[in-house]
Amino acid sequence: MTSRWLHPGAWWLWSLCLAAAASQTTNPLLLALLICAAVIVVAARKPDAPWGKSFEFFLFLGAMIITIRVVFQIVFGAGLGTTVLFELPGVSFPDWMSGLRLGGSVTLEAILGAFYDGLRLATIAIVIGAANSLASPTRLLKAVPTALYELGVSIVVALTFIPQLTTDAGRIREMRRLRGRNSKGLKGFVSLGLPVLAGALDRSIILAESMDSRGYGRHQKETTLGRRVSISLVLTSLSLALIGVYSLLTAGTSALVAILIVSIGLILGGVTLWRAGRTRVRTVYRPDTWALPEWLVSIAGVAVLGVFLVARISPDQALILRPELNTWPSLPLWGLLAFGIACTPALSAPPPPAFDIDTNEPVGAEALT
Amino acid sequence: MRAVTLGKPSAIAIAAITVIGVISFLWPFVAPADSFLVMNSTETPLLFALIIPLLLVTVISQISDGGLDAKTIALLGALAAVIAVLRPLGAGLGGIEPIWVILILAGRAMGPGFGFLLGSISLLASAMFTGGVGPWLPFQMLAAAWVGLGAGLLPKASGKRELVILSAYAAVACVAFGFIMNLWFWPFSLNLPEQIAFTPGASAGENLLAWIRFSLTTSLGFDLPRAALTVILIALVGSPILKLLRRASRKAAFDAPTVFIETQRIS
Amino acid sequence: MISIQHVTFRYAEESQPVLRDLNLEIPAGELALLLGATGSGKTTFLRAINGLVPHFTGGHFTGRVSVNGRSTQVNQPRELADLVGFVAQDPVSGFVTDLVEDELAYSMECLGIDPPVMRRRVEEILDLLGLTELRNRPLHTLSGGQQQRVAIGSVLTAQPKVLVLDEPTSALDPGAAEEVLAALHRLVHDLGITVVLAEHRLERVMQYCDSILLLENGSIRSGTPSELMQTSSIAPPVIHLGRLAGWDPLPISIRDARRAAPPLRALLANHSPRVQAVPTQSPRIVEIKEVHCSYGKRTVLRGVDLVLDAGEITALMGRNGAGKSTLLRTLVGLKNQSKGTIQVNGVDPHTLAAKDLLRHVGFVPQEPHDLFESLTVAAECKSSDTDAGCPPGTTRALLALMAPDVQDGTHPRDLSEGQQMLLALALIVAAKPPLLLLDEPTRGLDYPTKKKLGEVLRGLANAGHTVLMATHDVELVAELATRVVIMGDGEIVANGPTQSVITDSPMFAPQVSKVLAPDRWITVEQIAYVLNQELA
Repeated sequence: MTSRWLHPGAWWLWSLCLAAAASQTTNPLLLALLICAAVIVVAARKPDAPWGKSFEFFLFLGAMIITIRVVFQIVFGAGLGTTVLFELPGVSFPDWMSGLRLGGSVTLEAILGAFYDGLRLATIAIVIGAANSLASPTRLLKAVPTALYELGVSIVVALTFIPQLTTDAGRIREMRRLRGRNSKGLKGFVSLGLPVLAGALDRSIILAESMDSRGYGRHQKETTLGRRVSISLVLTSLSLALIGVYSLLTAGTSALVAILIVSIGLILGGVTLWRAGRTRVRTVYRPDTWALPEWLVSIAGVAVLGVFLVARISPDQALILRPELNTWPSLPLWGLLAFGIACTPALSAPPPPAFDIDTNEPVGAEALT
Repeated sequence: MRAVTLGKPSAIAIAAITVIGVISFLWPFVAPADSFLVMNSTETPLLFALIIPLLLVTVISQISDGGLDAKTIALLGALAAVIAVLRPLGAGLGGIEPIWVILILAGRAMGPGFGFLLGSISLLASAMFTGGVGPWLPFQMLAAAWVGLGAGLLPKASGKRELVILSAYAAVACVAFGFIMNLWFWPFSLNLPEQIAFTPGASAGENLLAWIRFSLTTSLGFDLPRAALTVILIALVGSPILKLLRRASRKAAFDAPTVFIETQRIS
Repeated sequence: MISIQHVTFRYAEESQPVLRDLNLEIPAGELALLLGATGSGKTTFLRAINGLVPHFTGGHFTGRVSVNGRSTQVNQPRELADLVGFVAQDPVSGFVTDLVEDELAYSMECLGIDPPVMRRRVEEILDLLGLTELRNRPLHTLSGGQQQRVAIGSVLTAQPKVLVLDEPTSALDPGAAEEVLAALHRLVHDLGITVVLAEHRLERVMQYCDSILLLENGSIRSGTPSELMQTSSIAPPVIHLGRLAGWDPLPISIRDARRAAPPLRALLANHSPRVQAVPTQSPRIVEIKEVHCSYGKRTVLRGVDLVLDAGEITALMGRNGAGKSTLLRTLVGLKNQSKGTIQVNGVDPHTLAAKDLLRHVGFVPQEPHDLFESLTVAAECKSSDTDAGCPPGTTRALLALMAPDVQDGTHPRDLSEGQQMLLALALIVAAKPPLLLLDEPTRGLDYPTKKKLGEVLRGLANAGHTVLMATHDVELVAELATRVVIMGDGEIVANGPTQSVITDSPMFAPQVSKVLAPDRWITVEQIAYVLNQELA
């Protein structure tokens, strides 16, 4: 298969579907399978670029989430369940806190409960992290609809400024040393930060000049009627969303109707965006195509979500999705099937283009000699 | 002419999403036990996590419909980058991020519309940079947008008085941000003792009390230091940062008029 | 092509107009060079061509600027983007994307050009500017010359008829500057693009241009180079030489000057050039022995030996990548050597704590504003007094001597390049370090400021400091330096008195030397001295 970038939308769709699937269950075995699928796909299709290296961070983040949940539970555990593991010294809060107790006996059930819950959140984080590592942020911003073009540009600007800020900070720290100042402690950090901020602000004006000179921001003139239509669309969509959400808030109205109203509001919002996109003059150079591999990856994600939703609806799978805390969780056959489907992008997505390794050498090497 | 002009439609749009946002945060207190939100309390945050970004995007599209010019975009990007770079430094300071001072001062110097946009964009950019993309992101974006918006709406003042007003706002905003972000996951935190747990169907007052106790025992450890750090930073560098931001605003000539003077001469 | 009629412009915050009643026509296909002292309004004039002035900057604008019939009053800069391409002084800050190919395509994306057309144009520009192997490279990995060419390419893809450049070669070494100027020359000759460029380093550019626009006191005089250079105060050495020798017609390029030179050579035949007196018996300040330095696996300095005495002004020259900056960094303790010893004033700079460092060595970086932290000039000077431990007011007094027109309340970053350089120098010199290091001090400086800087440095050298500057500016070296050290590939390739070293090397020879080769004359002053003697 020729190497090319997969459309970032496909990666994100796959990842969001897996995240939604993970949110349906607390079964640690199913969640572990989803995490493994993410790891496998990332290992197979990770590009050799700076953002590709962020996946380890997400795994670490997942571990942190689980640890924090468990520690929380140990400290605040209200003695759920029966199997006591160990005792912590208990601390009672005074009466105005309604006699809250910290510590006390720590039970297996409580820890397991926290672990399952943390694992679910961790899986969501890891699976979304996979999309972060697989899809280039700048190409994702290219794929952003034209209506949000300005938003996208400001984020591209932010992402390109970030490495410059760190090199600036390094250089200015050296210069401060030459003036006899060190940059330690809060005062030092702040004295370092001000020139970096000043440089960034100055540079942004130069950038704006360059963008303006190159034609940024060309609009077709909108007619007054068109403008009025846009504004009413926006306000209508927001009002509908507001009404729908408020209905969900109160008992009595049918939930289905409320969700319908919200959806119509969202669709109108989408129409506004589409209309706004048409007034902006803009084309995309070498846009990412949506071809067979993109379909395969997206459908894999949707299929996995579908399997989980079907399980959610069938009554006999309830215990599988939310296992009891005092029995071993079981692994159903459809879980393995879902795992297999979730892993297919490792093969169906094209390998990413190889990076010229030399070109990722830090700029310092060139400028320092 | 401010950096980001907010016309009536934009202001209404911001108000609307603020109300929806408030509902998305406060539903545990006011939703009766048999409403859809409470009955599916584990899914509700995810439902809002889906609705809010779509609506936020619509609102932002409305705000930028006047045409965000290159200067505003470039300044937004530069400040969002500064915020994104400062955020991981929070790890070195024990988890307290020094980003609020920039957001609040930028909202003050450049106006509420700019502050709103900067809040959402900077949190999105920093999430893309550090990888903090998760279901909590839309809520963080909205809450930070409010912080930036609020800073721009503070009353006129200058000199020391300005710093005092900003410090007071910062303290309130930082603690409020922490408390409100707790609302994101608190209702469906399982297995909490009753005094600090969300009880569907209990009265608003009881749930409110439970939430306050929960926040006091957990995140206050983060919120107070965050507020303290921001206030200290405002005291230390608030004045130079404001001067730098206003200088940038001047150089960008947001307020300078472009005047074409007709002459009688014909050449 | 460009028509400027009765244009007067004043910035909103200022009371005096920058441009006064300009009237000018620049025909199509011409390469026009804009000359003027710092602060004369060159930047404003260039930006008036594509409408940045007044739409981007605000201000009061009278008159009419039209390019190919389209007026800047009615059109915003973005609407003129397909007609006028503007390349600012700092192209790196103007990059919107992070890959070369994306940057080239950006302008076309903004203009809404069809993707197949975009593809074709990108390929053409890559070929035209020699960027094909670089197409997938991240922008921050390119050299200065490559970045400048990408910046030019990124505005060329819109197929403009006019190209406006603000000091395109100021940050480049002579080789990279040659590449960029040759590319511009090709654009004018092959594609017929009208080019207007502002440049301080006239010696590089003069021979390419068709006309000169001299901006003085807000008004412009235009004419061919030979006309204007008769009387212009801003002129490269070859012009000064021609005027001094009374050559008619005034030769603009070195080749023409060489043809007119024989009578002058005959006149000078029995004289030898007056050389700056090199102080003898002065204390040795710097001793570098056998220093090796590497970054990871790459060896950057190989066995460098160097001694510097008080009163010397030493120029460190060489291609980018030869090791100049690394050598400077080892002297300030920012880089550790892997082998060899360095002694500055008797101590190794690495062993010094930060607050003692500035008493031994002072360093002015390429970007002087990296040193600035305060919000006003006065505050900056005060903090420097504290750091240096000298009586309050010392630094401000030093600055007043060097740059009398700098005001207390200005933000340091708002000063002109020359003023920033002199402020940085004042901050460093306050602590009286015996060794002074400067990295590319004359970037962006006009001739008068360079002269001022030269005077300041010579004064410091006479007072007992030793100055080491890394520079590409051959003319400055010829006038100022007592000794020249040339580095190549991490080693010192030449080390000796200025007079002999720079006349030996064709790459680093000043204009006067190139004209009068093989006779060894390096500055116009030397020749003027002889001619005065002849008259007397």
